[in-house]
Amino acid sequence: MTDRTPHQPRFVGARILRLEDPRLVSGQARHVDDLVLPGMLHLRLVRSQLAHATLASIDVSALHAGFPDALVFTGQDIGALGIRANSDLPSVQPCVQPILARERVRFVGEPVAAVLTTDSYSVEDAAETVFVDYDALPVLADIETALAPGAPAMFENWRGNLFIEQSRTGGDIAAARARARHVIRRTYRNQRQAGVPMECRGVIAALDPTGRILTVWSSTQIPHLMRTYLAQELNWQENRIHVIAPEVGGGFGVKGHVFAEDVLVAWLAIRTRRPIKWIEDRREHLIASIHAREHVHVLEAYVTAEGKILGLKADITVDVGAYSVWPFTAASDPGMVAKVLPGPYDIAAYEATYRAVATNKCPIGTYRGVGRPAAVFSQERLMNEIAIELGIDPITLRERNLIGQFPYTNILGYTYDKGSYAESLVKIRELVAPDVERARKPEKPHIRIGVGLALFLEQTAHGTPDFVRRRSPIETGYESAKVEMHPDATVSVDSGLQCHGQGHETTFAQLVADQLGILPADILVRHGNTVTSPYSVGTWGSRGITLGGGAAHRAAGIIRDKLIAIAAQHLQARPETIELADRQARVKGDPTRAIGVETLARWAQRNVENLPPGMEPGLIAISFVDGPPDGSYTNAVHAAVVEIDLSTGQIKLKRFVVVEDCGTIVNPMIVDGQVRGGVVQGIGSALWEHFVYDKDGQPLTTNFADYLLPSAPGLPDIEVHHIQTPSPVTPLGMKGLGEGGAIGPAAAIANAVENALGVPVQETPITPSRVWELIKKRKPIAAGGV
Amino acid sequence: MMQITLTVNGVTKALTVEPRRLLADVLRHEFGCYGVRFGCSHGACGCCTVHVDGQPRLSCIAFAVQCDGMSIATIEGMPKDGALHPLQQAFIAEHALQCGYCTPGFIMALAPFVERGTDPTDTEIRDAMSGNICRCTGYDGIVAAIRRAIGERKRVDSD
Repeated sequence: MTDRTPHQPRFVGARILRLEDPRLVSGQARHVDDLVLPGMLHLRLVRSQLAHATLASIDVSALHAGFPDALVFTGQDIGALGIRANSDLPSVQPCVQPILARERVRFVGEPVAAVLTTDSYSVEDAAETVFVDYDALPVLADIETALAPGAPAMFENWRGNLFIEQSRTGGDIAAARARARHVIRRTYRNQRQAGVPMECRGVIAALDPTGRILTVWSSTQIPHLMRTYLAQELNWQENRIHVIAPEVGGGFGVKGHVFAEDVLVAWLAIRTRRPIKWIEDRREHLIASIHAREHVHVLEAYVTAEGKILGLKADITVDVGAYSVWPFTAASDPGMVAKVLPGPYDIAAYEATYRAVATNKCPIGTYRGVGRPAAVFSQERLMNEIAIELGIDPITLRERNLIGQFPYTNILGYTYDKGSYAESLVKIRELVAPDVERARKPEKPHIRIGVGLALFLEQTAHGTPDFVRRRSPIETGYESAKVEMHPDATVSVDSGLQCHGQGHETTFAQLVADQLGILPADILVRHGNTVTSPYSVGTWGSRGITLGGGAAHRAAGIIRDKLIAIAAQHLQARPETIELADRQARVKGDPTRAIGVETLARWAQRNVENLPPGMEPGLIAISFVDGPPDGSYTNAVHAAVVEIDLSTGQIKLKRFVVVEDCGTIVNPMIVDGQVRGGVVQGIGSALWEHFVYDKDGQPLTTNFADYLLPSAPGLPDIEVHHIQTPSPVTPLGMKGLGEGGAIGPAAAIANAVENALGVPVQETPITPSRVWELIKKRKPIAAGGV
Repeated sequence: MMQITLTVNGVTKALTVEPRRLLADVLRHEFGCYGVRFGCSHGACGCCTVHVDGQPRLSCIAFAVQCDGMSIATIEGMPKDGALHPLQQAFIAEHALQCGYCTPGFIMALAPFVERGTDPTDTEIRDAMSGNICRCTGYDGIVAAIRRAIGERKRVDSD
């Protein structure tokens, strides 16, 4: 489905400054928390203080005595409403997260009671007076405890504490093992993290005066999916629910879920017939939105003497916390790892078992990369360990296993479109050659330099078949856009996506401007609103520019064709000889034969007597673009250069280099920004960010002093280099790139630490204390190359 | 309740506020300065930075009553004569923002640094940014924006 613009693109590929920025730098953007409605009630949640307990009683007598005007609701009032996120894969054990806990609580922070007053301060006071009596239950604080024989079941009718346990296989793994010269088995671990957009979550819901229309303002990445879920759960007609995401301050996947609070606020607005506002605070965000990662992978590679991997066996376990999240389910992270582990390598036999373990912690959801940072950590650490064990240069080992021809169908049946895997390795080798040289000859006795890299793929813009295979509530994978040219030739684009930093208002305008021969400034891109945009699944999964942008490009193409048809009649020229540029329709090569786009737009809507016979009035078009069945594969290599002080364990990141290929680039400034921001999140995963629970399931890292985010000091500039291999299977050859930056850093940095110390790194975060432990294991061996 | 007077972006108002009400809330809801944002509410991320008597301060850990009689500037007060502050312009030019939620805090924290008339190294610029968290950009664009704004200031000074 290759689409081409009919003439030389003027804006696609250009470094256009962002059209959304003036309001953002001047404080004029409006988020959910900035919205104030008359008669609004503020919601404060009473949240579970224990990780696992039965609810003995909830005493609200002090609340009623102290705050006579406050309203309070518990699980008994709200009844069976819940978050139901179950796929129908055979091993799935279904569960429901109650909107407010009823008999039992399963993690610290789970909502237990809802308190409403007219003021955001007094509501906190009122909520403090609710007395909840818990009977503590044994806490399943980690994978081992949850899977131990005799462990209590997390849900009724469950056998064992697994949401899902599935396998994926391809090829003859036994034969691969039998033929292997080396069997290399390793265990890798990634820590639990939080996603942490700077704006916390927020929801406001209000009925209109007739009581017929429920409007929900939410900091969501998925407005239409939220509408669908609310309609199902509240038993409302979907045409009577409007979901609007105003300005949203970052998401990174965290806000790509429907949460209990979303359903609760909507229910309260209907129940009380008052506008209800809930704004999450940072502690709530850290303990009770979603978490990410917490993987354990056991990999076994069957390798020839020359380093060719004949087969790969993987056992993947993820501690996914207490509930399954909607719409991606508890299977999302482990399933992703099982799907992507073969990566850019030609592996003929593969067997993966993946499982999602239920524990008494915050549920794991989707956060930038979704399983792939962990998968690539394991894959690329294993490649290094194979290289070292066999005495082969790590880049050479990768080259020996690399996929060479495109399209390539991997062992699980996924077809990769065209990429630049080998070229990217060549390029990164050149870029870090001076650092490799420095690493070989340390200048100071107590300082070691290491260089490490990670090569990986990112499946992006995947279409509906990929989601059907998961059999989870996400169900589908298309995106949509509506494009309308007004009588003055300005254009509105209504995208079903929700933009929270990706720059869609600019890049979509670039795409549409090229189609219509107008300027990006003539185009207003709107998003995050179910009232104005056609159905769509929202912004996640590195799909926005390829599918949502692709839909805008195609819808604009329909309008382009109509403008050209009108112009063709007027100019007495064949349509294929007419181009739109500089706000004109003109005959190519004959600048005297032209008519203004504004005249055409006016004719199409105001002076329709000028239209060709039989042509309908109007300049509006809607396009739905589904992704290619297996998506389009962006590829990248990340390289890290670290400096380690052997006397203290201090680790400094001296350099971070990216070579990436996301196909056709619409706006290089925005691509670089996405890559850099992703990389720094990945550096956070590698070095600092760790959400910690104690053995009782109590969260310990509940503020930004304890949960360490990357900050500017201590980070190098992120160097970004591009190769552009347009995809043959997407509009304009675009591939997604939103998540890629976050996928590679943990692996690259761990490989660099291994290179510096000659000791393998099996676990993140690589904190100074962990480096210190590694230093104590050092043997005087040289790990080869990068 | 306490009686206080605040001057915000040149507008003076007498207010009756609870002693516990945060400066950020008062700026947002009494003065309509919604560019003042809560990022953490514990003084760790810098989103809520405003100028109190010319100094960058965190409005999420200050009570409004502590600022009685003081003059406060927020992001809304940064443009002069209809033109964005050079640092605001530089943020756009260098793609120093994505979602933009933290941006007002960064600009308020760093405008005095830009204006102080020194020529910092990149390390000094990064150190000056240490009180603000941006989750989107990876900070490179912000460093470049500060560098650009300092260059612009030097150009203007030498004219």
